[in-house]
Amino acid sequence: MSNALNRLSTANMYDSALRNMTSRQTSLANLQENLTSGKRVVRASDDPVAAAQAERSMTRITRIQTEQRALDLQRNAVAQAESTLGDAVGVMQQMRELVVSAGNGAFNASDRASVASQLQGLRTQLQDVANRKDTNGVPLLSALGSAATPFLNALGEFDGLAGQMAGSSVSIPNALDGDAAFMFQPQRDGVFNASVSAAVPATHSLGSSAVTATDPAQIALTPGGNAYDYQISVSYIAGGAPGTLAAQYSVTSTPPGAPLNGANPFVSADYVPGRPASIAMTAIPGLGLNFTGSPQLGDTVTLALKPSSSIFDTVDTAIRDIGSGSASAATQAVGQALANMDRGLERLHSVRSYAGELLNRADRIGGSQDTRSVQLEADRSRAEDLDMIQGISDFQNQQVGYEAALKSYAMVQKLSLFNFIS
Amino acid sequence: MSLLNVGSRALLANQVALQTAGNNIANVNTQGYSRQSVVLQTVPGQFTGGGYIGKGVDVATILRNQSELLTRQASAAASVDASDSARVERLRQLQDVFSGGASGLGAAINDMMNAFSDVVNSPTDLTARNIVLTRIDETAKRMVGASDRLDEIAATVTEQLKGDIKAINLLAQNIAGVNDQIARAKGNGQPANDLLDQRDQLIRNLNQHIQTTQVAADDGTVSVFVAGSQPLVLGNQAASLSIDDPQDFGAASGQKRLYFQQPGSSTKAELGESTLGGGSVAGLLRFQNSDLQEGYQLLNRMATAISLNLNQQNQLGLTLDGSMGQALLSDVVPVQPQPAITNTSAGSLALSISDPNKLPASSYVVVFTGGTTGTITAQPNGQAQAFANMADLQTFFSDRGLQLTPGGPFNANDQFFVNPLKNAAGKMQALQFSPGQLAAANPVNAAMGASNAGSLQLASLKASGEPAPLTLPPAAGVVLSFTGGTPATFTLTGNTGAPFDASTTPPTPLAGPPYTFTSGQAISIDGWEIKLGGTPKTGDSVTVGNATDPQYGDWYKRNTGNADAMMALRDTPMFDGATLSDGFAGAMAQIGTRTQSAQFAAELSSSFAANLERDRTAVSGVNLDEEAARLIQYQQAYQASAKMVQIAQSVFDTLIQTMGR
Repeated sequence: MSNALNRLSTANMYDSALRNMTSRQTSLANLQENLTSGKRVVRASDDPVAAAQAERSMTRITRIQTEQRALDLQRNAVAQAESTLGDAVGVMQQMRELVVSAGNGAFNASDRASVASQLQGLRTQLQDVANRKDTNGVPLLSALGSAATPFLNALGEFDGLAGQMAGSSVSIPNALDGDAAFMFQPQRDGVFNASVSAAVPATHSLGSSAVTATDPAQIALTPGGNAYDYQISVSYIAGGAPGTLAAQYSVTSTPPGAPLNGANPFVSADYVPGRPASIAMTAIPGLGLNFTGSPQLGDTVTLALKPSSSIFDTVDTAIRDIGSGSASAATQAVGQALANMDRGLERLHSVRSYAGELLNRADRIGGSQDTRSVQLEADRSRAEDLDMIQGISDFQNQQVGYEAALKSYAMVQKLSLFNFIS
Repeated sequence: MSLLNVGSRALLANQVALQTAGNNIANVNTQGYSRQSVVLQTVPGQFTGGGYIGKGVDVATILRNQSELLTRQASAAASVDASDSARVERLRQLQDVFSGGASGLGAAINDMMNAFSDVVNSPTDLTARNIVLTRIDETAKRMVGASDRLDEIAATVTEQLKGDIKAINLLAQNIAGVNDQIARAKGNGQPANDLLDQRDQLIRNLNQHIQTTQVAADDGTVSVFVAGSQPLVLGNQAASLSIDDPQDFGAASGQKRLYFQQPGSSTKAELGESTLGGGSVAGLLRFQNSDLQEGYQLLNRMATAISLNLNQQNQLGLTLDGSMGQALLSDVVPVQPQPAITNTSAGSLALSISDPNKLPASSYVVVFTGGTTGTITAQPNGQAQAFANMADLQTFFSDRGLQLTPGGPFNANDQFFVNPLKNAAGKMQALQFSPGQLAAANPVNAAMGASNAGSLQLASLKASGEPAPLTLPPAAGVVLSFTGGTPATFTLTGNTGAPFDASTTPPTPLAGPPYTFTSGQAISIDGWEIKLGGTPKTGDSVTVGNATDPQYGDWYKRNTGNADAMMALRDTPMFDGATLSDGFAGAMAQIGTRTQSAQFAAELSSSFAANLERDRTAVSGVNLDEEAARLIQYQQAYQASAKMVQIAQSVFDTLIQTMGR
């Protein structure tokens, strides 16, 4: 028996050459698949960790695309809301000019009535602007959720849930707080309208200045959460110093029971007659106003203070008082309306600047999402894609190896002892 | 005279040698042929006064060149190779079901979840809602499709196993027949080379299907044993194998086992999988019992977690007509644990799903060693974990999101097979198709106090059902009243239960009242969860109300908080800590790793088998050059012997001529 260490079976030789050729051909075909698909990892089993990484990167990329699409919608909504507030400011400016013109002493009742009707038209326009909706029919100023037309419900209130949605790191809110833009709150803004209900005599232009909120937090609220209506009845008496006058006034509230800075009746500081009066009233906590006009001893005037619940309410009051016919009521109303409308404009501006900040934030978010997206794509490519140069060079190597295997097979099989035995 | 004898003997011997060489050349490519070489021996010499005179050459025997050791080693290695490549082939098919990329199942799931974004940003757009429901339907169909493909693979494996078993049984009978022939031929004194080759080839073929060990008996037969000790062929008797469900748990376990049946007996013995060794039957059984089961488990867990989470969230929200939502996908009813046939008690275990985010991707076998003690083993390859009382057993399963209710006393050796999510993917079905049925609105709404002076903003509000079921606020709402400071605090009115910090798992109750307020913290009250940002001042308030209360009219129709909550499910850990969006990548990697390591194993065993085969054929294979050389050698010897005969004849002629007259 020959020594098997140096022996090789012919059939086995062919089998093993065939095996090698087939396996080379298979790896050549696999490399070709890699080259044509451009991927190093075609199936998960090629490199499971890289395949999972590529899959996760792809998931995150599609998520960022979704978030960007949502951000575009949100940005549109906020931009529309911001321009709506701009329009509202424009209408308010127009109303302001009209109110100033109504203070012209040369106007008679019918002039004032026509001013009042113009104001009414602008007021309707303002309400329409405030109720503007986006392309989907959702109000732009719906805050945390509102009726289809949030301004105003039957009680003159904002028909929705006040408040502002916060954005997140990948989104901005898509509605602004309409309540903060248009509505007044007693303990935050302290907007009151003072009207003259009776002035005796009418020729002394007895009235008041605009009501200021000296300390809105001090303004008393009824148990129902609203501010009190106040009535102040003033009568001018002799002052402490000879030749001066003082205003003696008592304050009542509706509903009764509002706290006051002291007890009725109050007496003001002395006033020297002959100059236009500006007598401070200090009885109501948190509010301040001055009695104006040219009072004489014995004059009386009754003022009614009503809280204003919104810009619309302020404008409605102005329209009513300017159009009411009495010149002194109109003069009083102009003063009140101008001051209160300015407070309203402050609120509009503050919400509008918040909208501008949101748009800036949207730009920043968009930028950072783009960067992330690029980074994730790079991760995915690094995990999954074929380095073309490496791939082509591997392919060439395999090709050369395969050719060598084929050639050597062809040559070896020609060699046989039988060829030399004749 | 004797020269003639020597010559004719030599001629005959060389003729036989030539024929043997010729036989080798003819059979160079015959499978399983061992090369034969002629063994010549000299005829004992005749004693004469001048010494022992040789009497020529004789053919002693035709030797079959083969090494028993190498033959067995080569067979065994080829058997392991067959087992590994059968498994790899099937794993490649399994891997295709879990393929990734933009057209994979993972991308479909993510597209479905991302579609909620359009609903969130366009509350009144019915098209966006339609798209979500369509995507849910598609995902369900794709899950069913994936599950069907797994079923197809299982059916293919079963068919292939049937074919292999038929082949095994046939081969066994053939081996038994050859054994019989060899035993009869043994009495003739010379080894029956061709029959031996045939038997070896049959055994080699049998090893491709299932690994065997061989034991030679004195009468020349070889007994073939499978699974270590079961005699498939004993002498001239062949037993048979078959594939069937396991005896303990039956078809419910999804596994298959190999059974051995003695000839003439009707009882079948179950063969344990670890005893099988190699062979394509062993590889396929391994694939069927562990790899395919893992595929099923991963798919079923994904389907269950997605279905239950989407359903739960939709049922917490409001549809467009103001009613609470319904289930979006068909409910997953867990399959109850299967008692083994050998159980002696009537005890049973009942299971329900308590937390769909903790579900395991494996099945379990619970074995009782006493009334309340035993072990739990994860299938297929887990370690046994002991439990000392029923509470431990229940804790084990509740840690995996399953609530176990034991029923009845248990005896020692009772076994239960726990596979609650079986076929969940195959039954997944979308139930809602009308866009109004997508419950995108929150059942609660929040309003900031209109006179708030601080900077509170609403970051998110959603119904979570955790830790308590959802209780809707009363008409006046649940009011959070804040007090500024460092830290800011708040108190509650109108709530039914205490508030919890929802960012921990499980949620921890907040200390108070008054409760500390942290900006951005998720506060869970009465089954809904609110997140506020910013800094409150004293007197600020937030009111959470019931969205369907008449005071709010139809405001909920423009609210999409619940759709937002469904989008947040993307980041909920559901699959052993991986989130919903990453769950498929994990499953893909798991199957890919199995396939890759099976591929490496198959390459290794293939080259091992090739090397051993080369070693075997180095002894028993035919080398044409060698045979050619031998032909020349014996031809020369034949010519020389013929010359010898001619010389003997001429010697005889000379003798006759000289002696004749």
